[in-house]
Amino acid sequence: MSAFWFYVFTLVFFLFDYFILAMGLNIQYGETGILNFAYIGFVALGAYVTGASSLPASAGTGQQYIMGWGLPFPLNLLLGGVAASLLAVFVALIAMRRLRTDYLAVVLISFSLVFYDITNNYVPLFNGADGLYNVPEPLAGIFKLTTNSFVPFFAIVTGLIALIMWWAMSRITKSPLGRTFRAIRDDEGVAAALGKGVFRYQLTSMLIGSFYAGIGGGLLVQFGGSFNTTSWLPAETFVVFAVIIVGGVGNNVGLLVGALLVETLLIHLPAFLPDIPGHPGLIEYIDTIVVGVLLWVMLWFRPQGVVPERIRKTPLALLQGLKSDRSTNEEVPAMSISDGAGVNEEGGVRD
Amino acid sequence: MPALLAENVTAGYGRTPIINDISLSVERGTVTTIIGPNGAGKSTFAKTLVGILRTSTGRIMVEDLDITRMPGHLIPRNGLVYVPQNDNVFKSLSVRENLEVGGFAAKGDTSARMEEILSVFTDLNKAREKRAGFLSGGQQNLLAIARALMVEPKVIVLDEPTAGLSPAYTDVVWNQIERIAQTGTGILVVEQNVERALKHADFVHIFVAGSNHVHGLASEIASLDLPAIFLGRAEAK
Repeated sequence: MSAFWFYVFTLVFFLFDYFILAMGLNIQYGETGILNFAYIGFVALGAYVTGASSLPASAGTGQQYIMGWGLPFPLNLLLGGVAASLLAVFVALIAMRRLRTDYLAVVLISFSLVFYDITNNYVPLFNGADGLYNVPEPLAGIFKLTTNSFVPFFAIVTGLIALIMWWAMSRITKSPLGRTFRAIRDDEGVAAALGKGVFRYQLTSMLIGSFYAGIGGGLLVQFGGSFNTTSWLPAETFVVFAVIIVGGVGNNVGLLVGALLVETLLIHLPAFLPDIPGHPGLIEYIDTIVVGVLLWVMLWFRPQGVVPERIRKTPLALLQGLKSDRSTNEEVPAMSISDGAGVNEEGGVRD
Repeated sequence: MPALLAENVTAGYGRTPIINDISLSVERGTVTTIIGPNGAGKSTFAKTLVGILRTSTGRIMVEDLDITRMPGHLIPRNGLVYVPQNDNVFKSLSVRENLEVGGFAAKGDTSARMEEILSVFTDLNKAREKRAGFLSGGQQNLLAIARALMVEPKVIVLDEPTAGLSPAYTDVVWNQIERIAQTGTGILVVEQNVERALKHADFVHIFVAGSNHVHGLASEIASLDLPAIFLGRAEAK
């Protein structure tokens, strides 16, 4: 395989992986309104657990880590997802019962920093700052894959996993559960007044989103074969935020567009460009600036993202044969009355 | 048996009581309003009834069920629904979705109930697939009231349902409130507009400085020197 296709499939992998990550953050932030600034921490835990559970026992490997069970794919990946979900439950029980919005965001950033410091400094956990390496390439033995052929193979596997997870997420967001998440996002006080146990739903959202984070992290470590603390600086969370803000908060299709524009084209594509002579690393910095400016421009001129959120048709509405509303994405002028104009005898508004 | 009964309720924020020793009842099929000057504790009392604030003393009953210590999210399924003041709809959800969320606490299929409600609220029926955030302020308030009806409540507590509305739409909202009461639902309305409250209510309570200062039939209250009561210059009856 030529270097060109190697790079293309690498980009394809990151497109699908960040699509999964964006779906996870979107259900937390875009659907439920939880400002999870610690998201990258859940991604990291998924990566570490997937990696450490697929590696053999650490004795003799030159690394120190827990687990070392030699679990095959996809058991190791699922374990990474479950571990991230369990961490989400732990964090939610501590932080989300009493804290809301900005305060919760501050606590979650703090959590992310604490988790980062622990993994960076406590070597027996996940080999400290060196991180995990020589993580087995999944299914490479079965299909007799070389390093070159593994890249397109795993990019396709990641695409299939992303497809399954997108299908599952679409089911969730179109279900009454998804509708309740959005109701809580809009106004959790009103949702509670209508009989919704807000904390229970927020916990569920955290659990689902973090599972996606863990799976996305697990795929990362298996694709690259290594994972250390430079891979998940706490600021990386904001790249995933940029993906969903640019693509369209609350819209799963928009997330794919966001992953393509931000993660694939702006973050990873320039990484393959040759350095500017005399300025090594300058492209990376320009890259970061471009992402920041794009985020700024989008929030200013098109906060709904490239593909805005749509009104969902629940099964109930579809059963009732309600007409598809072609204008659900358009700003519908408010029907208002003034001084009685337009009010009919029944208190309705005339056409 | 009253649909809603509050006995000697004291509550507030933290350890500071805002309302003291308030008793009040709402009968099915009647409209009861609470009026009073700003800071009298009207909204605080409404929030206490529905479990948003905790009572420090007293008892709250919905018919024969004691809901005093019940978590707020369990109260609607026991027949008491609260419609907050302002920002009381889910703006990114459609009118239909708002009603579906309102029916969460109801048992069984709520689609028939939703159609029934939409046939009464004609504005909402026309806009059923529009985002609630695109409705006018009055329509949003009607939607919030309609959504509360989804669980077929015994009592609805409305916190200033006509705040900020034009006189025309204020009439629309009050007419709907009276229609709902006629179906046998008890309604408790926190209201700033004294004239409207006296016109549409069966019973009126005047709160002053966190106490249920005066109460009685609307016709009786209308004959009192209300400015003096509001300013705390008249004795409680």
